[in-house]
Amino acid sequence: MTGTPLKLKNLTKRFGRVTAVEGINLEVQGGELVAFLGPSGCGKTTTLLMIAGIYRPTEGEIYFGDRRVDHLHPKDRDVGMVFQSYALYPHLTLFENIAFPLRLKRFSEAMIRERVQKTADLLGIGKILDRKPAQVSGGQQQRAALARALVKEPQVLLLDEPLSNLDTQIRLSARAEIRRLQQNLGVTSILVTHDQAEALAMADRVAVFSTGRLQQYDPPEVLYQSPKNTFVAGFVGSPPMNLIEGEFTADGFKRGAFQIPIPGAPIGKGWLGVRPEHLTLSAEGIPAKVMVVETLGREFLVVLDAHGVRLQALIPEGQKPAVNAEVRIKIPPERPHYFDAQGLRIGP
Amino acid sequence: MRRYLIPFFFLAPATLLIVLFFFVPVVATILLSFTDLSTTTFKNPSWVGLENYRELLSDPFLKKILLNTAKYVILTLAFNVGMGLVLAFLTSLVPDRIGDPYRALWLLPRILPPVVYVFIWQGLLAEAPMGLVSNLLGVSKNWILAQPWAVVILANGFVGASFGMLIFTSAIRSISKELFYAAAVDGAGTWETIRRVVLPLLAWPILFVTAYQTLSLLTSFEYILLLTDGGPGFYTTEVWSLRAYHLALSNYFGNVEFGLGAAMAAVLVVIGVVVSLFYLKIFNFKNLVSEPKIEVY
Amino acid sequence: MPLLPRNWPLFWVVLTLLTLPILIGVIWLILTAIFDQVHGLFPAGPPDPENWRFLYEGSVGGRPPIWVALKNSAVFAFTVAALELLIASMAAYAISRMKFPFRTPYLGMILVLHAFPAVSLLIAIYYILRVMGLFDTLIGVILVKASLELPLGIWLMKGFFDHLSWDMEMAALVDGASRWLVFWKVALPLVRPGLLALGTFALLSAWGEFILPFTFIVSGKSWTLALYMQSFFREAFVDYGLLAAVGLFYALPVLILFLVGQRYLLNIYSGGVKG
Repeated sequence: MTGTPLKLKNLTKRFGRVTAVEGINLEVQGGELVAFLGPSGCGKTTTLLMIAGIYRPTEGEIYFGDRRVDHLHPKDRDVGMVFQSYALYPHLTLFENIAFPLRLKRFSEAMIRERVQKTADLLGIGKILDRKPAQVSGGQQQRAALARALVKEPQVLLLDEPLSNLDTQIRLSARAEIRRLQQNLGVTSILVTHDQAEALAMADRVAVFSTGRLQQYDPPEVLYQSPKNTFVAGFVGSPPMNLIEGEFTADGFKRGAFQIPIPGAPIGKGWLGVRPEHLTLSAEGIPAKVMVVETLGREFLVVLDAHGVRLQALIPEGQKPAVNAEVRIKIPPERPHYFDAQGLRIGP
Repeated sequence: MRRYLIPFFFLAPATLLIVLFFFVPVVATILLSFTDLSTTTFKNPSWVGLENYRELLSDPFLKKILLNTAKYVILTLAFNVGMGLVLAFLTSLVPDRIGDPYRALWLLPRILPPVVYVFIWQGLLAEAPMGLVSNLLGVSKNWILAQPWAVVILANGFVGASFGMLIFTSAIRSISKELFYAAAVDGAGTWETIRRVVLPLLAWPILFVTAYQTLSLLTSFEYILLLTDGGPGFYTTEVWSLRAYHLALSNYFGNVEFGLGAAMAAVLVVIGVVVSLFYLKIFNFKNLVSEPKIEVY
Repeated sequence: MPLLPRNWPLFWVVLTLLTLPILIGVIWLILTAIFDQVHGLFPAGPPDPENWRFLYEGSVGGRPPIWVALKNSAVFAFTVAALELLIASMAAYAISRMKFPFRTPYLGMILVLHAFPAVSLLIAIYYILRVMGLFDTLIGVILVKASLELPLGIWLMKGFFDHLSWDMEMAALVDGASRWLVFWKVALPLVRPGLLALGTFALLSAWGEFILPFTFIVSGKSWTLALYMQSFFREAFVDYGLLAAVGLFYALPVLILFLVGQRYLLNIYSGGVKG
């Protein structure tokens, strides 16, 4: 399987009066794993279903390589899909489930047997193929669903929240396995998730969706370090970035009594963003009062009140402050993110 | 014992009526079948043991009645289940806002009073110039007399099909939509999806409808009574249950033969009890997708 | 089904063709009731008020007046429904909410009776009614009908009672109410959808009931509309106009209910009412 590039051109989907998805433009390179990330209702699943062919776009085009596919029935597109509920056929054995796409293509019995076994072995379920979905664990069902999607060597692999139904313990290992598998096979893949940690960990690039529109489409580090707007800034990263609404003046950023000197920011109303891990307890900082201290294990999540502004900081081991203590918190001058009044990023 | 006074009070009326009109009749049917109760012996019937059953077996019309019953049950069942499936699928393959009114329309034969329903069939199948069918076919006949079996089966079928239609529709609706999506992505078109995914999942509902309606058809005769009364002529459409009814309750040849009729009914009753118990075992009612809240047929 | 086929209008056409007979039947009934003559589906004469003479003529062909039959049908239907609702609810409440010996077998019996073809018991019931002196009485038929419908009613109401939370009943008992009062004032109001559904089934079923009155009633004064109408079938010459009018008159409540409550009927007959 060499990866097929995918292109979405001006994709829009309306259901009656409601616009679920608007003007999506993005390209996925062959063999890339792209995550569609966003909260519920943001349009990521709708877009995925349009790529699968379950929904027909109201406007726009979809290309697999040079082939325009947006008017094709799912069965003619050559995609593989893993559903959130796995959607395994309950009346068939795992073998028959995985063989299903091949039977529809009228492959020979020998060919089916070979391919199904090969794919099942690849996913570690080669020995339980005679069981029915109800008789195996959730993790095994997920692998069976994956096997069914991959057995026909599709041009594009689609995954709709494939990990959300798994137990937390298995989730991390499953995450790594899927990623490794995808890279080895080199199949162009799209993964829909609402879990930003999952997206950042697995994807080559992440497309962030909100209210039906594409907010940003970049590799994970870029998303993290240079979010394009306050939505992405607040959504990517956990605990989330501190976003303070206020005004940039010649003296710096101020919100009520809260004021810090900011070099070179353009004048006007806007937002200041600082990640919790960039706040440090330091004698040179601004005064703040400790409200809550949460122990996270390797560090502490400290909620502070600085002149009425609520800040979350990640404080390393050994520096645990006491609740209600008056401390000083420093914002390194090169670390803040600036956003204008509309929430758009200012600066690099 | 005292503490169960309240539950007993709540259960009393129902239990009384059930005993009176279910259990007592079951026993009574069997007992009566061993007597020679008839118009002449109504005041003092005598015990005749298995005489009625012997008389049944030597009845020259027995074969015809058995054949009629088989014909009625099998053909109507085929229509009921077949049409039920067809309707369930057709109304599921069009948008719901279009399919729903059609499903409602198929309820109509079931809820219309049987006398009115049968009258409509009579009117449509009458001779020209009134009868629609006579007009359309250009042949003026009383089509009920001409093709009694076709009419009996169709008339019963239009009522019975709605049972299957409703159960199968429920079953189709209970299939998660992701399963349909998966089949589409796997390469199945509409027909393949129906054949490989939907129908296998309908296996139990189909079995249930078949079993339920078989028992139902074995013992029902109301529409036949109204349409042909077992005729035309001698026993053309007389089924077992109708014959039992006629023997016991109609003044066919001047003498009502209660005991004999009871014997025929007793056979049905025994079959009914055995099969009902059997169903209880096989079909875990609670597991069914949508337990129908409707009665026979 | 999701993902409707592109050519679904084709299925629409087939569906319409299959359903046509039902529509044709109803239309025929209405037309024949209105007009003097109807050939096929085309009126061949003026509207004929004579078709409706049973409404004002008193006795038609020596039969009791239609109003007697109407009264009997109404009394029959509503009494059966009322008995059904009360008795089935009481029993269902006990099965659902109370402990007593043989509870499980009792429920099993209800299930078996639900599937049992009651029609086969007509002969024995005839005998029983005669013995009880209830033969040829409306009350006799009412009792029989209500009884035969009980397994269904109990099963239905039990489903509804099962879904009630225990808290309210417990609170009422603690407040000092007797179990009967709890049933009447707390539980029943909460299962109103079930009562409505069962009531609808019972009314529809009793209104159209033919075989029971046919078997157990002889006297004209106790005739229901079903018997009234069927009595015309035995005539040598069938006055279609008159009969259609009688039929329309008889079926009118059902037709109106259908027009107004189509969705609801479809819902309850599908078992879709939450229970």
